[in-house]
Amino acid sequence: MSGIKQNPGLYKIVVTHYVTAAFCFLVLSVMMLFSVKAFTGHYFHPQILAITHMAALGWGTMIILGASYQLIPVVLETDLYSEKLAWISFGLFLPGLIALVYSFWVFVPGIHMQCGAILLLLAVVLFTANVYLTAKKKKQETIQEDFIFSACICLCLTVALGAALAFNFTLSIFPQDQLHFLKLHAHMGLIGWFLLMLIGVSSKLVPMFLVSSYQSTKLLTYSYYLIVGALLYFLVDSYLFGLSLRTYLIFTIGAAGITCYFIFILKCLRSRLRKHIDLPMMNSFLSFILLKIATLTVPFIIYFHFKNNPITIRFSMIYGEFMLMGWITALILGQTFKTLPFIVWVKHYEHLTGKFKTPMPADLFADNLLKAQTVSYLIFCLTFMPGCYLLFLPLIYIGIAALMVTAMLYLSNIFIVLFHKTITYGKL
Amino acid sequence: MASFDITDPNSFLKQQMMETLRLVMDPELHINIIDLGLVYGIEIEAPKKRVKVEMTLSSSYCPMGESIVFAVKNCIEGHYEGYEATVDLVWEPVWSYDSITDEGKRLLGL
Repeated sequence: MSGIKQNPGLYKIVVTHYVTAAFCFLVLSVMMLFSVKAFTGHYFHPQILAITHMAALGWGTMIILGASYQLIPVVLETDLYSEKLAWISFGLFLPGLIALVYSFWVFVPGIHMQCGAILLLLAVVLFTANVYLTAKKKKQETIQEDFIFSACICLCLTVALGAALAFNFTLSIFPQDQLHFLKLHAHMGLIGWFLLMLIGVSSKLVPMFLVSSYQSTKLLTYSYYLIVGALLYFLVDSYLFGLSLRTYLIFTIGAAGITCYFIFILKCLRSRLRKHIDLPMMNSFLSFILLKIATLTVPFIIYFHFKNNPITIRFSMIYGEFMLMGWITALILGQTFKTLPFIVWVKHYEHLTGKFKTPMPADLFADNLLKAQTVSYLIFCLTFMPGCYLLFLPLIYIGIAALMVTAMLYLSNIFIVLFHKTITYGKL
Repeated sequence: MASFDITDPNSFLKQQMMETLRLVMDPELHINIIDLGLVYGIEIEAPKKRVKVEMTLSSSYCPMGESIVFAVKNCIEGHYEGYEATVDLVWEPVWSYDSITDEGKRLLGL
């Protein structure tokens, strides 16, 4: 049978990742506060690079790694191969992240940046090995597994290319300029790692949390092949020829893949058993809208690139912001309060359930804090993204202030869940 | 959904245990597992005081599956002193909307 196999070791690994990610989110919002002007310039800027890596690695990847240790055994229906490997990976990842982000921030592309990149590469290789060895016990059967394995491979390739780019600052490994590889690095990460991983896991979790009767995985199979096809085509074509008219075709293929995923989610939503949609799921649906907006900016980036119009830089910034601070952040802000309370609830109540009346997982977090967090995050989206597009500093300041409030509320609510004391309301 | 044979000497106890299992809630849906139609049947070995609950889950990947199974065991053993309960998870017949009772549908707002 499948289920959360709760053991103290696994619990500590998962919680450590969640807490570290929450702190990284807070640090990220503070870094943004000190870089307001940088958001009105080019994305190849030391502070923007530091912020992007903090968002992608410290926030997004850190929490996905933590959740994966809990959820991948559920999806693959087997125990995690090694907790020790997970700890070693974390032990390499955190100093690697700090070294890399600091090196970008002060922009000293020397030994610290290179060591950081190598540590991160080792960490993600160990994570991938752990996932692979976990899955090796059983025959690959589901499309979700294809998504997850492909995402892990893309993560390794993204970090490997990133490490090569870090060395390229001092060793000149590549003949072309850094920006040529930057878009390959960014898309391998955003599409290959984040999109594939989040589709793989969410396509299991969303129907489960909604208790949806829609069982077909045909749309997910289309989605997988279209997205992976578009990504590979983009990497090869863009490496050899840069952006061209073919890029529109590649975009169309990828967008069709994402649309298949959206239709899948819509079908799950329509056939859901649970009519009431709670706040964490609302946050998740908001994230899908933000992903759609991010996708819609891509044709503008290509169009203005061909016209040599510098506004293409603005659209590129907006695209990155909607992907990292929009789609990925909204999804994490919501799904944290679907997954973490369950993990903590199992630890506190599994042995008591059926004997005593106990709180439910949804009772473990502060609902009011989550409501306030959702409002402040919406304020961030409605002010920061337009502010960056319009180059209007007051809007950017308001957005970042709202993001800092969001991060503090999020962190507080995480601690409320983690420091929950076991209570019962009498015998059943 | 379980059916009861009037000629079975344990049928009253089975019915009683089924009612008791209404205390076990699905932690996500907040509906009891009987009205969700997750319990397919109960077998009682009265002399040995053993109970076997045959049930399913709404999804084979259900992360709370282990907890629901624990709850069923705890519930039977806590309410029927001396009885030892085991849970047999089955995937046939597959759980569907049709397994939910009218009361369950009402609680879910269907």
